[in-house]
Amino acid sequence: MNEKREQNILDAATLTADEALIPQADWMERSGVLQKLRKNKKFPTIWCSGCGIGVVMGALIRAIDHLGLKSDDVALVAGIGCTARMPVYLDFNTLHTTHGRALAFATGLKIARPDMKVIAIMGDGDALAIGGNHFIHAARRNIGITALVVNNATYGMTGGQYSPTTPVGRRATTAPYGNVEPPFPVCDLAIAAGASYVARSTVYHALELDKFLAEAIAKDGFSLVEAVSYCHTTYGRLNKLGTAADMMRALKDNSIAKNAYDKLSDEQKASNSKIVRGNFVNKDRSEYTGIYQNLIANVRGD
Amino acid sequence: MPDTVVSVSSPAAAPAAKRKGPRGKVVIYPNWCKGCHICVDFCPTEVLAFIPSQEYPLVQQPEKCTACHFCDTHCPDFAIIVRSIE
Repeated sequence: MNEKREQNILDAATLTADEALIPQADWMERSGVLQKLRKNKKFPTIWCSGCGIGVVMGALIRAIDHLGLKSDDVALVAGIGCTARMPVYLDFNTLHTTHGRALAFATGLKIARPDMKVIAIMGDGDALAIGGNHFIHAARRNIGITALVVNNATYGMTGGQYSPTTPVGRRATTAPYGNVEPPFPVCDLAIAAGASYVARSTVYHALELDKFLAEAIAKDGFSLVEAVSYCHTTYGRLNKLGTAADMMRALKDNSIAKNAYDKLSDEQKASNSKIVRGNFVNKDRSEYTGIYQNLIANVRGD
Repeated sequence: MPDTVVSVSSPAAAPAAKRKGPRGKVVIYPNWCKGCHICVDFCPTEVLAFIPSQEYPLVQQPEKCTACHFCDTHCPDFAIIVRSIE
């Protein structure tokens, strides 16, 4: 099996088209993104053809690369689901945990190693349904974890059941006549719970996602980045939304920048159905691990 | 299946192109491509094209590439790389 993987990587590295134009060593340098991928994994990834999670993975690598962090100083924690497969392909410290408990494991890791940059990668179901309580309490404590929530409005891996972020009226395999539950506003939830950095962007606006992720990782307290993605395989098929490219174009057409949204009148804001992109909160609150270290020092009488 | 598909927008490839501004070199790695055609649908200058006989896109008009880097930032499988050239 390992030989086969090795061969797959060699295949990609062996160039036949025009070796004079692209030297062999260029494979490693062909992109900064590829240098952070695991060399012993089989590529391409397990995600469906055209899935937006791959775009988020690229944005995350570029953000970490931009901050100049060493691979050993970054820990990626993930739960279960399509999105939670992301750390498997990345060459950092990674932790693949139980469903919905990514933030619980990340909290333990952050308390043990406050110097590390801990990033919890979750899907919408993972973060808000199964791990909903961990999410609000991590934000309440303001512990220095970056939560990356990839919101594709469905449970993709298990076959397209409706999730806490499925819009009203949309079909799912468990809601064949349309979903009747109002969705969670992820960013508003984090703001109300007390997160210090909250931003939202879409996979179409990948470079904006880079910027928000870099700011969120650099932030001391709890930071949330909601990356709005799509699932064309189950959600898109049931709702007749077209191919991956069609759904990505829909994200472009159905989103509005925060600056433009702020200029709208109250009536227009009330009737707005577009995704608002932007940085909603960026404030300084005292961080949990710092408070905890101070408490330990006080009790010991240092 | 070739391991790489390389195209360079060199002056020789486009003698009539007097266009100024940045230009790019598009490289496609078919081994990594799943054929979602996001790059083909969004390319603003129609450098890439879909042909039914192969899964991965064809670099049809390499000389038109303006190195906007849409395709390589939005490729979910890192199968396409654009390098800016002088």
